[in-house]
Amino acid sequence: MNHHFTLPNSGHNYDAKASKMGMWLFLYTELILFGGLFLVYMVYRSLNQDAFLLASFNLNVWMGTANTIVLLTSSMTVAMAISALQKGDSKKSIFLLWMTILAALFFLVVKYFEWSAKFEHGLFPGMDHFNQLPNGEKLYFNLYFFMTGLHGLHVIVGGIFIVIVVFKIKSGKVNKDRYQLLENSGLYWHLVDLIWIYLFPLFYLIH
Amino acid sequence: MTAIATQQINYLNVKKGIWSWIFTLDHKRIGLLYLYSISTFFFVGVILGVLMRLELFNPGRDIMEAKTYNQVFTLHGVIMIFLFIIPSIPASFGNFFLPIMLGTDDVSLPRLNLLSWWLYVIGALFALSTLVFGGGPADTGWTFYAPYSVKTGTNVSMSVMAAFVLGFSSILTGLNFIVTIHRLRTPGMTFNKMPLFAWALYATSWIQVLATPIIGITLLMIVVERVFGIGLFDPSMGGDPILYQHLFWIYSHPAVYIMALPAMGVVSEIIPTFSQRTIFGYKPIAYSSMAIAFVGYFVWGHHMFTSGMSGSAAIIFSILTFLVAIPTAIKVFNWLATLYKGSIDIKVPLLFALAFIFNFLIGGLTGLVVGALAVDVHVHDTYFVVGHFHYVMFGGTGFAFFGALHYWFPKIWGKMYNMTRAYVAFGLLFIGFNILYFPMLILGVMGMPRRYYDYLPQFHTLNQISTIGSWILVVGLLLMIYNLIEGYRKGPKAAGNPWHGITLEWQTDSPPPLHNFDKMPELPEGGPYNYPNAKSE
Amino acid sequence: MAPGRLNLDLFVPPILFNSLKMKNQHSIEESHAEHITSYREHFGTWVGLILLTLMTVFISVFGADLRTITVATALLIASVKALVVAYYFMHLKYDPRIYRVLITIVMSLFTVFLIMVILDYLTR
Repeated sequence: MNHHFTLPNSGHNYDAKASKMGMWLFLYTELILFGGLFLVYMVYRSLNQDAFLLASFNLNVWMGTANTIVLLTSSMTVAMAISALQKGDSKKSIFLLWMTILAALFFLVVKYFEWSAKFEHGLFPGMDHFNQLPNGEKLYFNLYFFMTGLHGLHVIVGGIFIVIVVFKIKSGKVNKDRYQLLENSGLYWHLVDLIWIYLFPLFYLIH
Repeated sequence: MTAIATQQINYLNVKKGIWSWIFTLDHKRIGLLYLYSISTFFFVGVILGVLMRLELFNPGRDIMEAKTYNQVFTLHGVIMIFLFIIPSIPASFGNFFLPIMLGTDDVSLPRLNLLSWWLYVIGALFALSTLVFGGGPADTGWTFYAPYSVKTGTNVSMSVMAAFVLGFSSILTGLNFIVTIHRLRTPGMTFNKMPLFAWALYATSWIQVLATPIIGITLLMIVVERVFGIGLFDPSMGGDPILYQHLFWIYSHPAVYIMALPAMGVVSEIIPTFSQRTIFGYKPIAYSSMAIAFVGYFVWGHHMFTSGMSGSAAIIFSILTFLVAIPTAIKVFNWLATLYKGSIDIKVPLLFALAFIFNFLIGGLTGLVVGALAVDVHVHDTYFVVGHFHYVMFGGTGFAFFGALHYWFPKIWGKMYNMTRAYVAFGLLFIGFNILYFPMLILGVMGMPRRYYDYLPQFHTLNQISTIGSWILVVGLLLMIYNLIEGYRKGPKAAGNPWHGITLEWQTDSPPPLHNFDKMPELPEGGPYNYPNAKSE
Repeated sequence: MAPGRLNLDLFVPPILFNSLKMKNQHSIEESHAEHITSYREHFGTWVGLILLTLMTVFISVFGADLRTITVATALLIASVKALVVAYYFMHLKYDPRIYRVLITIVMSLFTVFLIMVILDYLTR
């Protein structure tokens, strides 16, 4: 009665390729999710070219550049962390992941200063200065807050995933032979970077 | 002990108690969880629909005010679309049967599967919470068109969040199915030897994964606009409400195929089984699913012909819309060709499949009418549209759902229902359905607008006929449910393969054992529908 | 790892199924040994990305008269950067071909959305 028959193609086996494929499919949904916002940006920018140009002068290019460099660097460290774990060097992998988290925090702090500067100038929807802006500039700021806000949320989520992976490496659950969770978190982190790569020129560099 | 030993261990009796259900990782149990929750919401939606028909029995106020009516039809739409029809066949029967039909023991990512059911429950709670909190259920229609959805005092935010969460539930199911189909087919089962239901689910899953995020972000924009005042569709800030409609329909038109394709998959399973004949045109049916999914992405503009969209764009969308008819017709012709010279056994599942073809044909042809730019301008937002999509969604997908229920009932529960009662229930459903919705098509052409609780006196008779149809339909539904519950409780034990099907789910016991197969399933020689004793041509 | 799975591992969209069958068999064998990217290659990628970033900032800040051209170049450079990230950091270069095919399909689909929507606005 209890002879244990298992199918060769059982869904209960550990299957790194399946989880990688699942992650990529999820990344497609994330791309299209942000894609909807890029679509809105495209339409409104095409309707309000001059207003978008004027409004973009309110952003600090150098803060944006610094954040871009920080995110690109963090992408490198997380990619290196994967290589390190594949080679079996979990200590180095953990160190590189902490560097990634540090970069994430730096990014968020810069964003915090940028946003608070906008609040001080009354540029958030509903505030005095904002209400006096022409329509096109209002749309620019609405998009700015929405898109960078949603992106910031993704930075936080990605950071949390990486922290979880760090602890899983420490406990040995993620290791040289079983590192798909790290690779998936890495992929997610790269996606966060990828979206910023487009957000940066669209908001900071369009003058 | 002996009693237990003689009783076969299967997925239903292996563990008991609610926890073993709501935290199960078994795809069969998750499929049933979906089936029970989906059916519950279907009945909530039916009750709301019946109330609307009652209100429309006479002109003027019968049982509710205009605003209540608006809320009722919105809730009816939200529940039927997001809680019933989108997850209906894929999440319940798909979850249950996809792994079995592929000859494996679970989906690729079982924990994700459970998560998607929980997201469904959370989304459902959000939707229901609008009944109690914050201004009552939304009164915008299920489309949540801006700018009204941003301004109205009803609880749009919560309804929209419900749709958002349900969207993610749907994405995760689709994602899981794609991975499962790629990774877990039984050795020897290539893509071109997969059952057609699996093909339909594969096409559906791609739409779920690639289209649903658009509605997610769009609905998020509505919430953010309502909560933080970050207005992206507000004309007073330069926003364009028509852009909302674009975004909404970029998802919601492909979503129509999320609803229809799995139903077509079910029909493609039922018809060969009850004709005992190889399916005619396996590849055309399989690939036309992909073609429908693909073309379906580029036709969304036909919902917006009267919105103020540019004329050129409208013409392009209208032309593209006609393309959808091609792969759909391919399927219909192939089903009919399969029946030709088959050993047809008119059992209830087959009747539902035939009813699907009949209703879907009316729905599809009226679809061409509303897809034609010039005609649509006249029937837009009339009862013609209401009739059209109920023929497709309820007459099509709804009937296929009932067909799937009757087809796989013995496999799922290992019992058989009363066939005579099932015939009667089917007859009532089919007649009631057509009496309910056919008058709507006529009313629409006569010019009765939709979404009003009132109408002009000349529409009285047809509205009364329609409402009477709704009563017949409800009697049919109740009889069907009674019959199935009786079958579950007291029905005779069903054989492993009561319909003589040859796809893999019929090779295992009814109900299936915990891990689906106790021995290696064997693929039929020469293709998934190659019936050994079928008459040769 | 799972020998029974070898013949299941068909990462091919159905449309390309027949034409790619042979090549795919090949990629299965390859994928057995996971490719490990060297630190050197990651660092080189990073240098390239930083240079591209500085370039796009430079063009934007000091080439302000060019207007539409700056926007176009900014987006072009962004797309090159995105490709580099996807290809090297996200490992697409070494992954089975299906991943490159799928992401291309997804991005093309999205591009068609963009084109069809902007078409409406341009012809109003």
